[in-house]
Amino acid sequence: MARDSIPLHVVPPGEPGLSGNAPPLLRELLERVRRLLDDGESSAIDLSALPLTPADLAWLRDKLGTGEIAVTLHAHGESTLNETGCPGIWWVTHRNEQGAVMSQFIEAAFVPELVKAHPRDVLTGQEYLESMISGC
Amino acid sequence: MQGSLIDTLARQGVTRRAFLKYCATLASMMALPPAAGRAMAEAMAAAKRPSVIWLPFQECTGCTESITRSHSPTIEGMIFDMISLDYQETLMAAAGHQAEAARLDAMQDNAGKYLLIVDGSVPLGLDGAYSCIGGRSNVEMLKEAAQGAAAIVAVGTCAAFGGIPKANPNPTGAVPVSDIVKDRPIVNIPGCPPIPVVMTGVLAHYLTFGSLPELDDKKRPKSFFGETIHDRCYRRPFYDQGKFARTFDDEGARQGWCLFELGCKGPVTHNACATVKWNGGTSWPVESGHGCLGCSEPDFWDGGGFYKALSVPADPLKFVAASSVVGAGVGAAVGFANRASKNAARSAHETTTLADLEK
Repeated sequence: MARDSIPLHVVPPGEPGLSGNAPPLLRELLERVRRLLDDGESSAIDLSALPLTPADLAWLRDKLGTGEIAVTLHAHGESTLNETGCPGIWWVTHRNEQGAVMSQFIEAAFVPELVKAHPRDVLTGQEYLESMISGC
Repeated sequence: MQGSLIDTLARQGVTRRAFLKYCATLASMMALPPAAGRAMAEAMAAAKRPSVIWLPFQECTGCTESITRSHSPTIEGMIFDMISLDYQETLMAAAGHQAEAARLDAMQDNAGKYLLIVDGSVPLGLDGAYSCIGGRSNVEMLKEAAQGAAAIVAVGTCAAFGGIPKANPNPTGAVPVSDIVKDRPIVNIPGCPPIPVVMTGVLAHYLTFGSLPELDDKKRPKSFFGETIHDRCYRRPFYDQGKFARTFDDEGARQGWCLFELGCKGPVTHNACATVKWNGGTSWPVESGHGCLGCSEPDFWDGGGFYKALSVPADPLKFVAASSVVGAGVGAAVGFANRASKNAARSAHETTTLADLEK
């Protein structure tokens, strides 16, 4: 029996609206971008650790806007690492195989760490290429 | 399985990025700063496999089921494979004398360094004769194994607080691990069963930092047990609005209103079900329409009935926090109404009848 056929409809209790916790994050991001430019230090804000309502998150996304790059990672569920309208600020969402959001971050970085290939993995790639060439 | 964790994961089809993503989420769940995810990934990827001895005492194997079974192979399960599980009755191939020899070997080879996991309570009645393995009582084995352990992880409510074997009138004289071992660091991971990721979180913390995570006054990891189910419940706004389901099939239940009056123990239960959920994040008890049983708290079995609204104050569960629950007058009134019958039942240890389950 499909779950939809059970006559139970949970009514969401109504959007709690803006909590006022989102605007200070813009200042925090400014500080992190400054550190990125001055020392090259990348950092992240864990959004699930903050008391943000869905409306707050929507407000924040709207304010930060959409940038030019959108990265999708397919690894044990889909993750998106999207540049915002402010270059150097990335909105990172990790989902599990069922599509549920597991964690969400805003990263201040030139390129999010996760996007870069690890030298060890590049080495594996090199070996693979070599094996293909020798097999020709 | 030799080599570093990351190589072993790679052989099982888990890429480095999948592992990094998992560690970022794990760090987030454990309330560690975002940078810790990376540190965790680096440390765990290179970690040597610690020897783990798992002693099962008065238990139902539900804890093992919770941790080892999932619908698809999870990274949790794989990390669990990464430890050198040198003794686990249910999972090991060896039996009888061979199994016991494996336990003794592991204890000798890794003296002072192994992690000891215990599930199940320890019976002290009749000199511990109620539960024996290979002719030796649980209490004797626990004392022996604890001596060489770097730390002890008490998995499940039985090992942490005595659980169901300790329920009134406690015929076997069951006690939790912490009543017997006093000179070793102990982490309690209660729950009936406990949430698998809490187990992995503690292991990951131990592998990364070489220490146990910060604990609350009941020796539970604060990052997972710091808040109550009620604090993080998605039905909380209905409680605040005074909207309660009064039976399991009324309009309120259909609308997904608060289950407080149907006996939900969420307000006095510290656990992470509301945020981590169960079955790969599919759902959790309250989301599927049933109140929280309070299984991660001491003596939850004697809490006065799963379907009785919390009394105020919730005496058997001994929580100060209960006083803050009185917010809605309705809830308080129901609580008081149930209190007399609950006290009577507790003192007489009456058998629960169907009538008790009805409100």
